[in-house]
Amino acid sequence: MTSYKWMVDYTPQTEWINGRGILLWLAFFFIELGAGVFFVASFFKSLEAMLIGWLICGVIGGGVHIMYLGHPFRFWRMIRKPGSSWISRGLIFVSIFLTLGLVHMALVQWASSSVALVVVVDLFAFLTIVYGGFAMNSVNGIPLWNTALLPILYAVSGIWGGAGIALGVALGTGAVSTLGVSLEEWIRLLLISYIVLLIVYLISVRYTNPTGKVSVRRIIAGGYWPIMWFVVVLVGLVIPITVVAISFINGIETMPLFVLYFSILCELIGDITMRYLILKDGLYSPLISSSEYTTA
Amino acid sequence: MRWGMVIDRKRCIGCYSCMISCKQSHALPPDIFWNRVLISETGTYPTVTKQILPVLCNHCKEAACVDACPTGATTKREDGIVWVDADKCVGCRYCVIACPYQMRTYYADDKKEYWPGQGLSELERFGREEFYPIQAKTVVKCNFCIERLDKGQAEGLKPGKDREATPVCVNACPVTARTFGDLDDPTSNVSILIKERKGYPLHHEYGTEPSVYYLD
Repeated sequence: MTSYKWMVDYTPQTEWINGRGILLWLAFFFIELGAGVFFVASFFKSLEAMLIGWLICGVIGGGVHIMYLGHPFRFWRMIRKPGSSWISRGLIFVSIFLTLGLVHMALVQWASSSVALVVVVDLFAFLTIVYGGFAMNSVNGIPLWNTALLPILYAVSGIWGGAGIALGVALGTGAVSTLGVSLEEWIRLLLISYIVLLIVYLISVRYTNPTGKVSVRRIIAGGYWPIMWFVVVLVGLVIPITVVAISFINGIETMPLFVLYFSILCELIGDITMRYLILKDGLYSPLISSSEYTTA
Repeated sequence: MRWGMVIDRKRCIGCYSCMISCKQSHALPPDIFWNRVLISETGTYPTVTKQILPVLCNHCKEAACVDACPTGATTKREDGIVWVDADKCVGCRYCVIACPYQMRTYYADDKKEYWPGQGLSELERFGREEFYPIQAKTVVKCNFCIERLDKGQAEGLKPGKDREATPVCVNACPVTARTFGDLDDPTSNVSILIKERKGYPLHHEYGTEPSVYYLD
């Protein structure tokens, strides 16, 4: 980037998506997805899904996040500023969730867990799902992120993805008629909520300020438009909607397993891709206000 | 007390002296700039204006980077200087993202040399290891030449008036476009300049209350 562009042009953030920054994109996704799986699985008392969610969050998400740090062995220092830093709060939420989640799963397996513990674990699982959205939302220099809708969008997508994987586990364990039906209802509601929220989010950012407008334009019509329309919309939304509609009409038991698995995979691909675009097209405003000068 | 700087854009000639003196005095590696001079053209022919904007860390009163830092590595001193304690920094780069002025840099590679393929020269090695060591895998930024200010004040000198206690970019400017002083003192040179010439910070709408002001 030539330095003058920085002064008069919209410049994308790069630290959280380019180079090793790609790890942070994956970390946020897997941490929130894993917590989402656990959150949904605990409602349906599916120990297998809870364990998978815990592993996705703690091992994959946590591992990738630590790998991203410049000094990974100092990661424990990141809990020191919960009063103001969302990254600090997030690490605390994740740590409590993983610890209590492990205790809860052990009790479910070998004794019996209490309702109070489930409530607390689910609360921290939910906070784990939303903290990434809040961490981005608090960056006031990037209008695409600096909106209250982003944490809500991430909460819905985290739980939606979690419900998808929990459904996959239910299909794998042959619990289609029991868990599968209920999970499919969850997915139906979450899918509709996600689509509505995504549209409202993009429209609201579009009308926030000129930088937000450019960010949204880049997402839907910029260099990554094929990714937006073919991967996010077609693969991530249209295919799952079609599968959900057919299963709603005919019943989930009539659906071939590979179609359901394929739909879950499409849903996850769409979600992670949308998160990529949100990180990639997070733009800073020019240092000199665009209303003050017209760029050459 | 709150140290601040005023940059007169009418005086600035875009000579890069501030940028080079900063790089030299902190032995900054390639691609790391704590001071930059941004030069561009705005407008459309025939009404084109050359824009020169020297930029550095704004040492904001309500610094977004201080709030964002999860480890407490970035802190604000009582005199308003925002600085990074490299021993506490984990390199999460949340502060880099949080700064709306993009004034922070993640120092990733301490082996990167000015003459690629030839290894670090003696001067580079001395600069990085002894003269002004900077820890790799941490975030770095302008610190208003904190070491000069502290040393100068300990010797009874006054920052902004005595060269030995003033940031090098201010000293290096050949047209005195930069002025350094106490923003909390209404009789200081910076406060008077801001008041008389309607000094403005960059992006005041973010509510960060920068300590670097510009004059047009």
